[in-house]
Amino acid sequence: MTTATEFRRALVSADTRLSRYDPLPRILFFDDFDQGVNGWCELIGNHDGNLDKVRPVISDMRPPQISNVSFFDIGTHGAVDGTYALKLATRARADHMALAIKRLTYVKPGLVQFETYFTIKAESWIGALPERHRSYDGNIDPSVYDFGDFCIGNDVCDLEYGRRYHCALRYLNTDHEGKLVRKWMYKTSLQTSTRMVLEGAPHTTDYHVAHPDDWVEIPGGEQRLCYNELPTKVNWHYLRYVFDTSTGRNVELQVNEKVMDLRSIPVPTYPKGYWGLEKLLNFCVDVRTHRPVRNFIFLDSVLVSVDW
Amino acid sequence: MLKRSFTAVVERNVTVHGRLETEPYETAWAGEARWFVHVLSADAATTLHIASEISPDGLTWCPHEAAPVSRVGPGLLSLPLTMLSPWQRLVLTTQPAADPVKVIVYLTLRE
Repeated sequence: MTTATEFRRALVSADTRLSRYDPLPRILFFDDFDQGVNGWCELIGNHDGNLDKVRPVISDMRPPQISNVSFFDIGTHGAVDGTYALKLATRARADHMALAIKRLTYVKPGLVQFETYFTIKAESWIGALPERHRSYDGNIDPSVYDFGDFCIGNDVCDLEYGRRYHCALRYLNTDHEGKLVRKWMYKTSLQTSTRMVLEGAPHTTDYHVAHPDDWVEIPGGEQRLCYNELPTKVNWHYLRYVFDTSTGRNVELQVNEKVMDLRSIPVPTYPKGYWGLEKLLNFCVDVRTHRPVRNFIFLDSVLVSVDW
Repeated sequence: MLKRSFTAVVERNVTVHGRLETEPYETAWAGEARWFVHVLSADAATTLHIASEISPDGLTWCPHEAAPVSRVGPGLLSLPLTMLSPWQRLVLTTQPAADPVKVIVYLTLRE
């Protein structure tokens, strides 16, 4: 280990906001949402100026919110540090997804590491247990069955008309019958693009894949996240996701102590290239509800680092 | 440092037929706001009314003190707000028998 590397690690360790992260050699950006949205914005489908032409599955991804993480029973929770977190909120409509994107390009191919502290919740209610929930035992909060899934992913293209792909890793909390699944999944088909639809591909109902069933469990992908008994108690989780823009593959996903090797997972690549996407490097986070209940994902902060 | 600001498109090309409540939107960080409603299409006889509502929890709502605003026909209307609450939403109404009005709703915020 070089002196420069040791010195850099010491500086990161001494910084109270960075020391909970484990960045690669170059920090590309560090988004503390106490400072604002930092470039995370709503994704919208391509259009010619007429918003009625935006494909339905990508027409209503909702604007991200700067949230102080407040609830009806205790007031403000706040973030890991400071007050504010980035919040994505679905509508209270089954299968609705909220997705935020941050858009960059890249200087060199190589490893890219996305780290965040996140928490997930379904919307709470005031008063009697909703009819969809049959019982309450004081421990398993019924609202956990109201939370559908969330994804971490990207959109990468090396060259104009070159290799383009979307990686998407989904934590499936419940299936569409409301049963707990609690597994990490990867997608097995391409994300249908606007051009593909204009060329005759069918519209999709799951933004990420051609067919809603095009998801497979990551080997060893079962994981129990902390839900903590109420929809108004949030506990932050560490997430580290690494992908490689030189190979066009996922590398690794870590959530708290669990580390999943993703190197053998296939990544669908578009057979036909796209104009204007030279060195595209987009980061995506989304949350999706399976029920007519709003689902939320909160990010305390995001740190993205690279190995060049 | 410059003041932080944000524009949220809270509804996009939606139709108002009687009453529409926008999704809850968190604004605890903001000191002032202004709603904009771009009326894309509307019958010349239809009046669109907009009124801001506020909430401490995103679940229960009451009117903001700002006076409602109205417009007849296509164009832009706005409603400025101070003394924000943690959550905002906009209520858009037309006469029940009126033709649908198509709108884009913006919530602009700053410290």
